[in-house]
Amino acid sequence: MPDLRASFHSDLDDIRSSIARMGATVVELIPRVTDILLEQDLEGANYVLRADDEIDARCLDIEERSLSLLALQAPVAGDLREVASAFKIASEMERSADLCGNICKAARRIYGHDLGPKLRGTITKLSAQAAREYKEAVEAYVERDSARAAALPDIDDFLDELHRQFVQQILESHAAGTIDLQVAVQLALVARFYERLGDHAVGLGHKVCYIATGWMPESEARERYRKSQEAGADNA
Amino acid sequence: MDLIIVAAAVAVGLVLGWALCRGGDQRTADVAAPARPSTVDHRQVLDMAQAAVVVVDARGDETYRNDRARALRRTHSGVLIDEAVERHVGRALNGADTAEVIDLYGPPRQTMSVSCHRLPDGGVVAFIDDVTERRRIDAMRTDFVANISHELKTPVGAIAVLADALVDEDDPEVMARMVSRMVAEAERAARTIDDLLELSEIELSSPTDRLPLEPVDVLRAAADRLGQAAEQRSITIDIDAAVPDLVVVGDPRQLSSALGNLVDNAVKYSDDGARVRLRARTNDDWVELVVADDGVGIPERDLERIFERFYRVDKARSRGTGGTGLGLAIVRHVANNHGGDVLVHSTEGEGSSFVLRLPGTPRNPDDVPQEPMGDVADPTPNPQQVNTR
Repeated sequence: MPDLRASFHSDLDDIRSSIARMGATVVELIPRVTDILLEQDLEGANYVLRADDEIDARCLDIEERSLSLLALQAPVAGDLREVASAFKIASEMERSADLCGNICKAARRIYGHDLGPKLRGTITKLSAQAAREYKEAVEAYVERDSARAAALPDIDDFLDELHRQFVQQILESHAAGTIDLQVAVQLALVARFYERLGDHAVGLGHKVCYIATGWMPESEARERYRKSQEAGADNA
Repeated sequence: MDLIIVAAAVAVGLVLGWALCRGGDQRTADVAAPARPSTVDHRQVLDMAQAAVVVVDARGDETYRNDRARALRRTHSGVLIDEAVERHVGRALNGADTAEVIDLYGPPRQTMSVSCHRLPDGGVVAFIDDVTERRRIDAMRTDFVANISHELKTPVGAIAVLADALVDEDDPEVMARMVSRMVAEAERAARTIDDLLELSEIELSSPTDRLPLEPVDVLRAAADRLGQAAEQRSITIDIDAAVPDLVVVGDPRQLSSALGNLVDNAVKYSDDGARVRLRARTNDDWVELVVADDGVGIPERDLERIFERFYRVDKARSRGTGGTGLGLAIVRHVANNHGGDVLVHSTEGEGSSFVLRLPGTPRNPDDVPQEPMGDVADPTPNPQQVNTR
């Protein structure tokens, strides 16, 4: 029996380590794809897109190992939360890597167009903020630091504001004739991809809180919904 | 009595002999005995090492990790480095020493070297070293050689080609155009050589030509030098004329050159009709001369390299503006020569702010600048801003 538990904890550690590595890879991808976008590095874009298969494979591997652990070891309490969250975290990270791939696709589509320093500057800021948030989320996961994870929604507000500013700049640049419609559309998508990366970081933070405390911020929404349903029934 | 004396002499002899033998033994022991085992725990020594060290046994299980390696675990970069270490340990356990250099985008951007070596007991030791600075210096050296060749060869090559074409040309209009291009290329080569000479002079200069200087006067001199270039593009150079508490003791020519380069860049990389702001302020014992603009700004990745000789952020644009690529290198050398430094804050698309920090000294009422800083008008009595246009 002790051997079985030792094996369970070793397997759980392996899953944790795989998730941390996948998350750290996404943190690295964010500034990398930004460089690709700003430097119009087509070779780099193709490299990142080809490497996406590896991320997909890692995600699948984590999900399969978590499933196996659930079926064979019947974890409880914190361990159960950890294994159950692994499914969601892995797919959240896989989706984040896809967003980085989408930025590379946009880089290919706007190849040869000059973006100008203002748009480039804001893209750099969006990227830095998204990478900072993701780094916080991954390190909060590694450290099981629910306080650090709980701060992520506030940090994300800044990214949302940058997103709004960037869309405004895109419209102004298009109106001034410095970028054409196709570039404007692609840049608006790029802005959305960075903004979504921030949302995924916040999502990861929620899972870290859940693993550490058993409570998720979504619980508040569920409570509000339950109360509104009850109030509706009373009124009826 | 004789017997007693003989006995005493024998006893003294024995004691002396014993003592001498003991001393001799001790000396021999000092020379021949192996060093006493150190009381220092080698793990403590490894904890002080700059490199992160991880040791695994022959089965691949981790048996030791020094402080630096433990600290890595808490960061996202550390997670990726651990992954690389695991990969290399696997290879090293199969018999081969391995090494890899990993570039991490961060933040912060880092270059790490991971090397694994087999131990006599079948285990493996992994060394993880931060080689970011080493790589940066290597890149700087390589780029410098490439850039200086390019900067000097390009105008000379262009002149040679134009001269060659001129030989067979008889259309006066075309000839005039070619000659004007040749003159421009020759001037460019001359500017580069002048700047190189100035840089070399600054590097070799001794602190003998130092005078107390009013910081605001240094700013005015630079603004006056660039006034015409700014006016041509309707750029306003604003000087905050507030007089700081301290003065700078410096070489007027060098400071004028450094500030001139900063203002020149601010004007070059600003849009037509923009504003360039100059200001002198004190910060503890430092005088800070600030040149700020709302121009194109500098991408973050270039910020740490812009003070290198011949480094250019946007190669096409910089050459178009007529710079030699030595301006900021001159600024940095002037700052270092005066015991100060130069700082930059910049955001691409929003502008840049350069701060030349120099050691300040209290103003002595008897001190007056002994050498005028260019054609400087008398300071206006404390206006908030002076427009040099």
